[in-house]
Amino acid sequence: MIAASLAVIVIFTLAPIVASVLLSLVSWDAISPPTFVGLGNYERLLQDQAVIRSFWVTIKLAAMIVAAQVVIGLGLALLVQRFRSTFLRGLFRTAFFLPLLVSAASISIVFTYLFNDKFGVVNYYLGLVGMSGVSWLGSEAGATATIVMVAVWQQLGFVFILFVAALSSIPRDVLEAVAMDGAGPIRTFFAVKLPLISPTVFFAAVIGLINALQLFDQPWVMTKGGPGDATTTTVILIYQAAFQNLQFGYGSAISVVLFVLLMILTWLQFVAGRKWVFYA
Amino acid sequence: MTSTVLSSRAKTPSGLRARVAARIAGRILAVVALVASAVLVALPIVWAISTSLRTPATSYDQPPAWLPTDPVWTNYSAVFTAVPLLTFFINSVVVTGLIVVLQLITSTMSGYAFAMVRFRGRNAIFAMVLATLMVPAQTTIIPVYIIISRLGLVDSRASLVLPVIGGAFGTFLMRQYFLQMPRELGEAARVDGAGPFRVFRQIYAPLAMAPMATLAVLNFSAYWNEFFRPLIFLQDSSNFTLPLGLVTLQGNFGTGSVSIVLAGIVLALLPSIVVFAFTQKYLVEGVAVGSFR
Amino acid sequence: MDSSARFSPSRRAVLSGALGLGATAALSSCSASSGSDSKALTVAYFGDPKSAASLSKVADPFRKANPGVTVRFVGTTGTDWNEFFTKLLAQIAAGNPPDIVSVATEGVQLFASKKLAEPLDEYVKRDKSELQSYFSDVHPSLVEAMMYEGSLYELPTDFNCGNMYFNSKLLKQARVDYPAADWTMDDFHGIAKKISTAAPDVVAFNWVVRLWGSWTSFMYANGGNLLTEGKYSGGDWLWDTFYANDPAAKGRGGGFQWGAPTANSDAVVESLEYMLQLKREALAPQPDAGGGGTLQGLFTNNKIGMSIGGGFWAGGLHNAGMGMNDFDVQLFPKWKTQRHLFGTGGFGMLRSSKNKELAWELMKSMSSVEGINVLTAGNVTTPARRSMMTADRYASTGPKHWQVFYDTLTKLPDTAPIPAPPYYNQMATALVSRTTQALSSGNVRSALDGLQGDLEGAANAVT
Repeated sequence: MIAASLAVIVIFTLAPIVASVLLSLVSWDAISPPTFVGLGNYERLLQDQAVIRSFWVTIKLAAMIVAAQVVIGLGLALLVQRFRSTFLRGLFRTAFFLPLLVSAASISIVFTYLFNDKFGVVNYYLGLVGMSGVSWLGSEAGATATIVMVAVWQQLGFVFILFVAALSSIPRDVLEAVAMDGAGPIRTFFAVKLPLISPTVFFAAVIGLINALQLFDQPWVMTKGGPGDATTTTVILIYQAAFQNLQFGYGSAISVVLFVLLMILTWLQFVAGRKWVFYA
Repeated sequence: MTSTVLSSRAKTPSGLRARVAARIAGRILAVVALVASAVLVALPIVWAISTSLRTPATSYDQPPAWLPTDPVWTNYSAVFTAVPLLTFFINSVVVTGLIVVLQLITSTMSGYAFAMVRFRGRNAIFAMVLATLMVPAQTTIIPVYIIISRLGLVDSRASLVLPVIGGAFGTFLMRQYFLQMPRELGEAARVDGAGPFRVFRQIYAPLAMAPMATLAVLNFSAYWNEFFRPLIFLQDSSNFTLPLGLVTLQGNFGTGSVSIVLAGIVLALLPSIVVFAFTQKYLVEGVAVGSFR
Repeated sequence: MDSSARFSPSRRAVLSGALGLGATAALSSCSASSGSDSKALTVAYFGDPKSAASLSKVADPFRKANPGVTVRFVGTTGTDWNEFFTKLLAQIAAGNPPDIVSVATEGVQLFASKKLAEPLDEYVKRDKSELQSYFSDVHPSLVEAMMYEGSLYELPTDFNCGNMYFNSKLLKQARVDYPAADWTMDDFHGIAKKISTAAPDVVAFNWVVRLWGSWTSFMYANGGNLLTEGKYSGGDWLWDTFYANDPAAKGRGGGFQWGAPTANSDAVVESLEYMLQLKREALAPQPDAGGGGTLQGLFTNNKIGMSIGGGFWAGGLHNAGMGMNDFDVQLFPKWKTQRHLFGTGGFGMLRSSKNKELAWELMKSMSSVEGINVLTAGNVTTPARRSMMTADRYASTGPKHWQVFYDTLTKLPDTAPIPAPPYYNQMATALVSRTTQALSSGNVRSALDGLQGDLEGAANAVT
C-alpha cells in the first residue's frame, strides 16, 4: 500500500520532475525531436531580464501574501480566543473558511468585476468617502494590492483555523500563571502565546510560501501579468515560455530554478525555525 | 475561572469595576472587529450570489443591491439549459470522491510510515515527497500527459484520479500528526503480539480521524475546483467535470452574461459547502497538528 | 493495489515518454486511441463542447457519402485560445493529435511554419471544378489570410472585421444620429463626448487589450502596423485559377510575409496615445486585458456607448438579451485611412493525419453553404460566403445594418488580417503587457520602444 502510493508519486510526480530537469538541457518545441543544448538554457536565463523580473515580482508578492496571511490570521484567531461560545466560534470559522471552497479562477472573475475601475462595487463605495477612481487592475500598485488581497482572502481561513487550534492547545494553567504575575495581554502574547504556537506559525509560513511562490490563477485571470510585467509571476512566465513560445526546454529551466529557489527558501525557514521555534 | 482570576487580582471594588469595564469594552471591540472582518470576507460571495439572482440588465447597477429582494431564478435555469449540469456533477462527484478517499488511504498509511516506521532512506524519500509540492503543475503537465497517453487513459476520468492517488500534501500532513502521537501506544500493543499493520489499523488510524477530516475537506475543495488538468486530459464533454463544464458559460471570447456566469460559480460552490458543513467540527482539532518537529 | 501493475510500465518507457522522445516515434507509429481498423476522423475545435452535437451535423453529408467512417468533434472551451493551443500541443507531444483542427488567422502561420499543417495546394488543384463555386463566393482577402509561403492551408469558413457597434439607447439619449459610412475620427470623438455628457454614469467607448479589434483597430485606421507588411510570392496558382476575373484579387500574393517590427513608428505611437487621451478625457475607462466578457456585459446593460465588434457580436448581444433594435453597427471611422482589420477562421488538416483524403473531403463539406450554415448558426460569427449574407440571416438577431460586415471586405480594398507571424503567441503576450504598461505609466513611447524590442527578439528567435 505504501509502496503503491510511493510508486504513484514516483511515476506521476517524481518522473516528470526528472523529465523537467532533463528537458531543461534540451531545446524542444513539443513537435519536432529535442536537441541537446547542455546548460544553454540556463545561460540564457541568467541574462533574461524578464525572468529576473518575474522572480522579483513573485518573491515580492509571496512575501506580502504570507506576511498578511499570518498577521491577519493570527490577529483574528486571538480575537476569537476571547469567546468560549462554540456557536460564535463555528460561525466565524465558517465565514473565514468559505473562500477556501471557491476555485481561485472563479473567484478571480468575481474580483475582476468588484474591482472594475468604473463600474466596480469597491470604487463605488470608495467614491462615497471621497476616494474616487482608484485604478485597481490598471496600475502597478493597484494590481499588486488586488492580487495580494485575493490570495490572502482565499487562504485566510486555513491559517485562521491553524491558529485557533494552536491557541486552544496552550495549557490553561500556563496562562493563569502568567495572569497571576500581572502580565498584560501584549506581554502575555509575546512572552507566552507566540513561543508556544511558534511551530504552527512556522508551518503556516512554510506552506504559505510554497503556495504563494507558485501563484498563477489570480494574476492570469485578473491581469494577464500586467500592467506591463508588474504581476507576471514566474509560473506565468513558465507557462508562456512553454505553451505560447513553444520553448519547453527553456520553460523547464526556469521551473528548475524556481524549484531550487523553493527548496532553498524552505530550507532557510527550517534553519531559522530551529532558532526561534519553541518545541514544548 | 474568569471570576477567580479577577477576584485574586482586584484589590478594591473600584479597581474591580474598572477591570470589568475594560474587559467588556475589549470584548465589544473584539466582536466589532471580528464581525467586520467576517462581513468583509463574506461580501464577495454574497455579491456573487445576489448578482446571480438579478437580471443581466441590472447586474451593474449602483449602488449595488446586496440582497436579492426580487430574485430572478432564470439565470439558474439558464445554466441548466446551457450545459448538461447533471453529467458534469456526477463526473465531479466520482472523480473528486475517488481522489479524496484514495488519498486518505495512501496519505494516512505513508504518513504513518514516515513518522513511525524506521526504514532505510526514510528521510531522503520524505524530502522527495515534500519536493513534489514545489513543482508547479504547468511544468509537468506535458510529461504527465505523455504517461497518461502511453497508458491509454487519455479522455477518461481515471486520468484525473490515477496520477494523484499518492498525495504529497496529505502524506506531509498525516506525518506531522503521527509524529505527535506517543510511541508507547503501539509498543504496548506490539508486546501483546499485534503486527505492525494491525497496530496501525487498530490503534493509530482511529486516533487520526481529525486530520483525516481536514485532509478530506481540503482535498475536496482543491480537486473539486480543479481546472487545468481536466482541460488538458479530457476531450469528450461527457467526461467533463464541473469547473471545465462551467467555463462554457463564459463562452468563447467571453460572450456570456455576468449573471449566468455567477450562477454557475454559485452552483459549483454549493457541494463544497455541504461537505464543509459535515466535516467542519473536526477541522479545528485536525489542523492543530500543523507543527514541525 | 492490483492496478498498480497497470500504471508502472518499465522505467525506460516512462522516461523516454516523459522526455518526449516518444513524440517522434508517435508521429510514425499508431497511437493507442486510434488504433482500430475502422476509419475515424477527429475534429478539434475551439468552442463550446455542448455545440459538438449540433456542430456534428456539419459532417452529416460527409457521413452519408462515406458510410463506415466515424467523425468525432471535440470542443475545447478555454478562457482563451491559448488553452486550446496548450491542449493541442499536449496531444501532439503525446502522439495522438486530431486529424482536423480549427485554426484562426492567429495560428495559421504558426501551424504552417512548424510543419504541423498540411498544405492544401495539391488537393485544391485536383478538385478545381468542385471548388469553383466556393472560391467565387469567398472574398480573396480571406483566402489570402489562410496562406503561408505561397501555399493554402485552410478554406476560410467565417471571419470578423473590427467594426464599430453603437448602443442605440445611449445614442438616442445623446441625440446622435447613426453616422455615415465615411465618418471620421473627429466625428467619433464628438459623438463620444455627447454620449458622455448626456449620461455621466456610462462610458462613451470601451475596448479590450488584445490583438484583434483593440487599439490595433485605431492603429490600422491610422495607417500603422506592428510589423512591416510584405507578401510571399507563389500564390498565382490560386488567383489565376479561381479569381482571374476578380479585381479584388489583383496584387494578392502567397500570404502575408510579416517583416521587421515597426511597433514604435509614429503612426502606431499616435494611435496608442489617442487611447490614453480617451482615458484622460474620461471617454473610455481602464480596459480589461484578455477576454471581452465584462465589455459585452456592460454593453448589454447600456453602460457603454460604442465598442469595436465584428459579426460575432450580433449573436453574442442577442444571446445576452439585447433586442435587434437595441444596437447597430457601422464601419470603423476614418482616420488617415479607413483601413479595417479582420480575423478569419477555418479548419486545417494536420500532417500527421492518417486519413488525409477523408479529412479533405470533410473539410470541403464543412466549407459548403450547408456546412457554414451550421458553423455560423445564431450569428456567433460571420459566414465567409457572400451569398449567405442575407437579411433573412440577421432578421432575428439584428443589427439593422448587417451589410456592413461584408462591405468591410468589398468596399474597403485595403482591409487586412491582423498581423499573425509564426511567432504570434509571443507577439500577443508582448502586446498585452506593453499596452497595459503604457496605460499605467502614461509613457506610450517608452512602452512601444519596449514592444519593438520584444518583437525583434521574438522575430530573431524564429528565423
